[in-house]
Amino acid sequence: MTRTVPLLICLTAAAVLTVVLCTFIGPAGFGFVSTAPGAADIVGGIRLPRVLSAFFVGAGLAVAGAAMQALFRNPMADPYILGTSSGGALGASLAIVFLGGFFVPLFAWVGAVVAILIVWSIAGRRGVVAVETLLLTGIAVSFFFSAIVSFLIAIAGQNVHQILFWLMGGFWNASPADAILSACILLPAGALLFFMGRDLNALSLGEETAAHLGIDAARARWVVLGGSTLLVAGAVSIAGSIGFIGLVTPHVVRMLLGPDNRVVIPAAILVGGILLVLSDTLARTFFSDLPVGIITAFIGAPFFIWLIYQRGSVT
Amino acid sequence: MSDRHSIEAENLEAGYNADVIVKSVSCSFAEGSFTGIIGPNGSGKTTLLKAFSRVIPSSGILELDGKAVRDYTPAELGMALGFVPQDEGRPFPYTVLQVVLMARYARTSRFSALTPVDYDRCCRALDETGIAHLKDRSIRALSGGEWQRVLIARALAQDTRVLLLDEPTSHLDLSHQTDILSLMRRLAGSGSTIIGIFHDLNLAALFCDRLIMIQDGRLVADDTPARVLTPEKIRAVYGADVAVSCHPATGRIFLMPLASGNGSSEQVSSLHILVISGGGSGADLLHFLSGRGFRLSAGILAATDTDYLAAKALEIPCIAVMPFSQIPAHSLEKLKTALHHADRIIFSGHPVGPGNLPVLLALRDADPARIIIHLPADRDFNSYDFIKGAAAAALRELCAAGAECTGSFDGILGLLRPVSPHDRNLRSEP
Repeated sequence: MTRTVPLLICLTAAAVLTVVLCTFIGPAGFGFVSTAPGAADIVGGIRLPRVLSAFFVGAGLAVAGAAMQALFRNPMADPYILGTSSGGALGASLAIVFLGGFFVPLFAWVGAVVAILIVWSIAGRRGVVAVETLLLTGIAVSFFFSAIVSFLIAIAGQNVHQILFWLMGGFWNASPADAILSACILLPAGALLFFMGRDLNALSLGEETAAHLGIDAARARWVVLGGSTLLVAGAVSIAGSIGFIGLVTPHVVRMLLGPDNRVVIPAAILVGGILLVLSDTLARTFFSDLPVGIITAFIGAPFFIWLIYQRGSVT
Repeated sequence: MSDRHSIEAENLEAGYNADVIVKSVSCSFAEGSFTGIIGPNGSGKTTLLKAFSRVIPSSGILELDGKAVRDYTPAELGMALGFVPQDEGRPFPYTVLQVVLMARYARTSRFSALTPVDYDRCCRALDETGIAHLKDRSIRALSGGEWQRVLIARALAQDTRVLLLDEPTSHLDLSHQTDILSLMRRLAGSGSTIIGIFHDLNLAALFCDRLIMIQDGRLVADDTPARVLTPEKIRAVYGADVAVSCHPATGRIFLMPLASGNGSSEQVSSLHILVISGGGSGADLLHFLSGRGFRLSAGILAATDTDYLAAKALEIPCIAVMPFSQIPAHSLEKLKTALHHADRIIFSGHPVGPGNLPVLLALRDADPARIIIHLPADRDFNSYDFIKGAAAAALRELCAAGAECTGSFDGILGLLRPVSPHDRNLRSEP
């Protein structure tokens, strides 16, 4: 408890530092104070929106991951668990194959939200929903949508490359509008989940326990799912499905600060943002703009294994 | 205990989806009472308790402190009613204190922090359950019993007038069971309403004012422990045979399970055995034989005799007489009838004086082939004789006429094999 506040302050400083530093790093060079022609355009018009988008998307995925893990009482849950990423992938693939690549973000967003709505309505058909039902329905819907995406890839012809790149996730086309949009999703949804911290704590011990502790468990569940869906659908529509940030970040945070969600949520915002900005900077600077999803998985998976190996169990 | 009811249920029905598990239960719980809910596995005890706490929807009338439970907001309910589950998943490594602090969520706004009052209350709850030293331990590192006490501490810290406990002591050792249930008694004494599910009927009888017995989701008994825990009701509901006696130290009733027939006994269990004993000599033997499924009856016993209490507890018929008095003629007649009808008669060695010599003399009229004398290895006939050799002579006479004599219970079992054609018929029956 005593080290929570100093650590949160350090994380905030690290986040600001990361955003600032990474804005001045890139294949085109340009140091901190550059007067070269075009420097302002590249730094302000391309890099800054990209860095900020990566930060907000990473933060959103991490928060949604932490919320899902608490809600599903399972440290292995990730933000895509209810079909958001496959729904987004289906929407994006449809736009690429049938609309020549126009409206990809919009279609991805609609696809992600539709996936969640389908899962909700199937799982909630009988009135009372068990989280287990939600989880299994999500997995089934995910597989079904993935099958359609695979079918689209099979018939896509020359668009295969574009679909595959979208699936791996990245920030190539991040515009100032994307940065603003992602901030506009993260700030309210992040605040919402932050104030649901207690409900998440109680829910992570079980819905009945939460109800016995005076929490409106049913309402809390829908609020958490709604907030997470907004965050994840937004992230998917801006950057495709970037893996591992949403799964690994909450574990890192719980290792540092313990499992209390009133602390985990704000810390996940900072750590998730930092991790994705660093990964994206790595991708665009040293790997000739590789999809950042490859980097996060490439670093995230071994890191996760190391975590499990170190602790003998997951946090 | 006051007359005010904190929980009142009428025609309560509850279950999962279309499956009705609790059927038409009506009962009420007075303030300051400690009630135990008992019943076999799967009878609906937990469902009933969860219907009270509203996590399982129910139909019918359910009131808490005079107000319909469905009219409570979740937070109001969290301040009015605490619940201790049997167990709870521990997916995340919260500290013990963090878990107990969750008890206070219902009392503080989500936009403000918990206060020192909340911390103090939670620390007191940890003290009361004896786990203050585990305060900063990860819940994943706790034993089952420690975790159960954390769950109890959390419910205590909710500061509710009603406390529902689902087998609160199932993971606790003997001393912690007593500690926790004594704590619950004290809480009831200070006006809380405590309702707990129990599998250990002796603990329930020891601590509860009242027991509710559930079978197939219906309430089958609702009364004081002594009136609910009768051998008939327990046999009907649990399908188990028990002996009920009054514990001399607590004055509370006390149950002892009786092992039902095992292997070899099946062939002889239809034998009707009359045990003649006295002065406590036959209590063990009665328990031993009744556990092996024989049909038993006892002879003439004084109402203060340990053997008499054993026979009562085991529901074995006997012929009761006043202590320290002459055996009345009609009792002796009854004994003679019993001697005539018994397939076997066991005389369990006990002191014989002028008072009970007629019993021994009556044995001479019985078929000696059916008589077994239990004479412990370190005793002889003379040591039971308090009437100048008359008793020892009578016993020796029985042996000479063909009665078998043995020193151990197993020896008795060995002798309880069929001997006459009549007995063989008994054996061939299924």
